Amino acid sequence: MATEVAVGTSRRKLLAIGNRQDQVYWLFVLPVLLCLLVFFLLPLFQVFWISLSDPAVGPDNYIKLFDNRAIKRVVLTTLRICTITTVFSVVIGYMIAFTVVIAPPRTRSMLMFAILVPFWMSVLVRAFAWVTLLRSEGIINSFLMSFGIISTPLSMTNNEFGVLIGMVHYMVPYAVLPLLASMDGINPSLIAASRGLGAGPVQSFIKIFMPLTKPGIFAALILVFIMTLGFFVTPIILGGGKTVMIAEYITVQMQQTLRWGLASALATALLAVVLLLIGGLSRSMDMRKMLGGG
Amino acid sequence: MNNTIRMPTRRLVTRRQALAMTGAAAAAAPFILRAGRASAATELVLVNWGGDAIPNFDHAFAQPFEKETGIKVTIDGTGPTDGKIKAMVESKNVTWNVCDADGFTSENLGSRGLLEEIDYSIVDRNKVRPGHAFQYGCCSYIYSYVITYNSSKLKEAPTSLADFWDLEKFPGKRTFWKYMSGALEAALIADGVPVDKLYPLDVDRALKKLEQIKDHIILWESGADSQRFLREGEVSMGLIWHTRSTLLERDTKGEVKWTFNQGLACPSSWVVPKGAKNVKETMQLIAFMQKPELQVDLLKSMSNGPANPAGSAMAPADLAKIDPGNEANWKIQIPMDVQWYGKNYNDVLNDYLDFFAS
Repeated sequence: MATEVAVGTSRRKLLAIGNRQDQVYWLFVLPVLLCLLVFFLLPLFQVFWISLSDPAVGPDNYIKLFDNRAIKRVVLTTLRICTITTVFSVVIGYMIAFTVVIAPPRTRSMLMFAILVPFWMSVLVRAFAWVTLLRSEGIINSFLMSFGIISTPLSMTNNEFGVLIGMVHYMVPYAVLPLLASMDGINPSLIAASRGLGAGPVQSFIKIFMPLTKPGIFAALILVFIMTLGFFVTPIILGGGKTVMIAEYITVQMQQTLRWGLASALATALLAVVLLLIGGLSRSMDMRKMLGGG
Repeated sequence: MNNTIRMPTRRLVTRRQALAMTGAAAAAAPFILRAGRASAATELVLVNWGGDAIPNFDHAFAQPFEKETGIKVTIDGTGPTDGKIKAMVESKNVTWNVCDADGFTSENLGSRGLLEEIDYSIVDRNKVRPGHAFQYGCCSYIYSYVITYNSSKLKEAPTSLADFWDLEKFPGKRTFWKYMSGALEAALIADGVPVDKLYPLDVDRALKKLEQIKDHIILWESGADSQRFLREGEVSMGLIWHTRSTLLERDTKGEVKWTFNQGLACPSSWVVPKGAKNVKETMQLIAFMQKPELQVDLLKSMSNGPANPAGSAMAPADLAKIDPGNEANWKIQIPMDVQWYGKNYNDVLNDYLDFFAS
């Protein structure tokens, strides 16, 4: 009781100071807000306007999104690739995060290093590294063939398989970080208590540990899914032109076929989906904590 | 982070090159302003697809033009896609004077009111091949989509487009351009359509023919892709730019071979975005770049075929061999119908991409 009152008072004090200095703080934020308005929100609104006005004013472009065969295919391809990528990234990410959490401190920092180095590497470099490994005369195929395991090279690139490998590899660190944040928050004595009450290691993991990481799993699923929706470079390099995702389709309509209205409508729809997902995410958990910042 | 590269239709332009160009232009500005000649305040910007084309265009065109007229020409390697030209014209702040575009871009963008008309009182229509002096663009050089193959992958040399469909005699994957040029023509010729009846392209028939070998086709996006696929043996044959075939043949010491036979010869064009400044000087530049000896310089450095037949005529034998505009080579190629592309490209490209994505 007593501590609660004390906390309440100090927070009130802080708020009071905050109120007095609010205007000053706003001055600090103002340039950023202005930049955001002029260089981000206005152009974004312009994109929205193009989607409603090019080539003619009206909702035609949005109607086309639903009855154009090619767009339907692109959207389905994107959803399929993103779903598969998300599931694999989160499963692999979960295993990695768990290993990191139970590792001794020295091993842990080495593991973190191994997770973060590819995380910082350019998407372009990583895609081309996969080309070197996966192509028909690449490292994996030559290895398998020299040992007589296969006689004709496996088609691992210039198709959807190659795109999936490249994307899962890119997204795994994004799955690991929120999972790690949520696993780190679990009190280890809970597991000890479970073991003490007679549960085996597997049972403790399934009944105690895993349910506690649910928010982390949910965050990782949504975060990875949102990011994969906009993939552009990886499908282009590893897809051989036959795996067209939304971002590439938009680029072609902007640069080549000059269907800006349609491209903008598709971009707006994509943005709406992403905002909805983020909205759902922020309702169910603390965003800062999820990204490891809290 | 997924926008770190743009893949323009022709060449992959790095951000660094674009920045370097901007930097160079900014650094040069004060000197131009201070220069004493009457026309010195005028500066023209020629936009191409970057990479080696920046120093090579500078050497072939910009430097001699400045020497003769005192007007500085800056080469900008941004890559003038149709989309970027449209964006610039509609922003009403046109900083580009002349762009290195596909021949059919002049029709496609010109008919939408996005390009200046070429002033043929300054530019000479007799210094390009018949049909290459367009209303909104003038042929800048000739390039060709040519049959190119990795000889270590094939026992016999493919000599015709029909050979792309012969999977037994010519095993391995094939590659066509992602942005369509050449692929539909190849399919129709392989299906028995005579060259003089090729256009207007029967798109449905072409796609049906492509369906037969679809699983064996991968698409190249940038010129560098086409080189990579052939050099690394990812494909055994492809229809790629002759400029890249020339490089491949040299780099692989003849392992990759190619032929002009049944190549699709295409004009590139100089186009001027609507609302560009100094249109008159720009037209003078386009006229200046028609000089045959300058075009031979570009043939030497880039393998770009002279637009001016006089240039092809004066090229030495070793360059004539790689010149799509050379009479002997021209005769065995198929000329692209720029008008058909100008009218149909946007619609048919979407069908083509959808065909491969399905």
